[in-house]
Amino acid sequence: MARATRLSSRVDFLLFIGCLIAAAVALVLPLQMRDPLAEVLRRSVVAPLVNLQSNAERWHAAWQLSEERTARLDSAVMRGFNAVALQSENDELRKLLGLGARLHTGFVPAEAVHNAVREDVVTTLTLTAGTRAGIKVYSPVVSPEGVVGLVQTADPSISIAILFSHPDFRASAMSGDGTSFGIVYPHLQQSLGGTGEYLLELRGVPFRTTLPAGTMIYTSGLGGTFPRGIPIGSVLRELKTAEGWTRTYLLQPSVNPAKVNSVMVLTSQRSTQKVDNVWQMVARIDSATRSVASSGDSLVRRAAADSARRAAADSLHRVQAARPATDSAARADSVRRSAAAQTDSAARARAESDSARAARAARREAARRDSIRRDSIRRDSVRRDSIRRDTVRRDTTARRDSARRDTTTHRR
Amino acid sequence: MSWNAVRTAVICAILIVLHYTVRPLLAWNTSIDFLIIALMFGAVRMRPGLAALFGFALGLVSDSLSPGAFGAAALGMSTVGFGASWLKAVFFADNLPLNGFFIFLGKWIFDLIFVVVGHRMHGAELLMQIVVWSSLSAAMTAVAGVLAIALLRPLMEVRTA
Repeated sequence: MARATRLSSRVDFLLFIGCLIAAAVALVLPLQMRDPLAEVLRRSVVAPLVNLQSNAERWHAAWQLSEERTARLDSAVMRGFNAVALQSENDELRKLLGLGARLHTGFVPAEAVHNAVREDVVTTLTLTAGTRAGIKVYSPVVSPEGVVGLVQTADPSISIAILFSHPDFRASAMSGDGTSFGIVYPHLQQSLGGTGEYLLELRGVPFRTTLPAGTMIYTSGLGGTFPRGIPIGSVLRELKTAEGWTRTYLLQPSVNPAKVNSVMVLTSQRSTQKVDNVWQMVARIDSATRSVASSGDSLVRRAAADSARRAAADSLHRVQAARPATDSAARADSVRRSAAAQTDSAARARAESDSARAARAARREAARRDSIRRDSIRRDSVRRDSIRRDTVRRDTTARRDSARRDTTTHRR
Repeated sequence: MSWNAVRTAVICAILIVLHYTVRPLLAWNTSIDFLIIALMFGAVRMRPGLAALFGFALGLVSDSLSPGAFGAAALGMSTVGFGASWLKAVFFADNLPLNGFFIFLGKWIFDLIFVVVGHRMHGAELLMQIVVWSSLSAAMTAVAGVLAIALLRPLMEVRTA
């Protein structure tokens, strides 16, 4: 037993020594012999493992690639979001700049800071300008779109403005043509209901005046707070109220207070002047821009149609030019075919002209028959009339003769 | 061939396949060496001579994919396999932390032999590789080996009739 154990230990040791020697030999083998040996192993025993490894590496590479792509896409989306925000801010500031340029004087630009507490309906704004900049209580707050609100509290460096959604907001308003006047109130039923929708009411419009939906409503300048001509909103529909002598209209405001970030506060000097040209100019510029864009579109469309027509004509020319290049037999065939087609078409044209002629003749015949019938009817009626006239005449002569006869007998 | 030998062969095959599938996916600097885990797992269930042969075969498979140091892995794995099997006969116990340490030692010795015999690095780079990277790689391999043994233990339990 001990001998067997010793033998097996010796075998193990010999095997280990053999492995070491083989490994050492493999190590010192020249490159020309080492490579073919490794290649044989790679192509036989290790081939499935090599396949596994290459597949795993490919998966890893694909995974890395997809991660990179996802990261790139994410960053592009982020850039896109930022670009949209920047563009909207840029647009807003541009509009504000335009408004400033049109107002010339008498305004204070201010940043509108929304309250930290989240509100369903924004009713107040903090403005980054105060009495030092010339802002006073009741100074009108406007944006390029129209009325935003009015200053309620003015501190040296900041001021607090109530928006048109605030329950205390009132403004004297009129229709665009200046024919109907009223007072604008916030539409509290919906705005306080938490729907987040900002609506206004135009109350006290004379009953005889009807404002169709879409009519623009402007400040009237009465009351002295808002100068005349600042857009407030447009008429949505009429509201049914208990009062029978005035009408109340629901208005869609021109400005969305939740999106207001920069505003203009009109100073008292400006409040006394008319500003209706300022916002009407904006509307005019907008319509001009829209018309320029639409005319550009139509020009592009016309150019596309022209190019399509030209391409069709070119292809037709090319087809016609390609025809003589075919061989003589084909040409003869085509000539024969075209001749046959021409004769066919001539026959068809003849038949068509014959049928047209026949149709025309039939139409003429029918018309003639109609006219004859009409003439005969007319003649009949004339005849009937003449007969009637004759009978009348005959009756009167008979009556006259009998009367004469009666008078002679009476005389007698 | 006994049932235990078949199970050992299957588990070693799984670990070898993992070496060529999971390792490229992880692509870490301190990669897990599933071949060493398979070698240690098989070697403790074999006679030392067979373990040396198994190590030699695994080493040749590994060398065939890196012909620059052809034979170095075979030499290292033969040594590790024979040593693991011989140590098992001397004091190896069925203890997970001890198994982990054993795998750590096996991997570190293999790396040492591979790097020194393969003449891949010199000087500070060699020292850095042996002290830092080989140690980290050995630690990773030991953790993976302990996990693998813990997972495969139910499969390797000897059935008693």
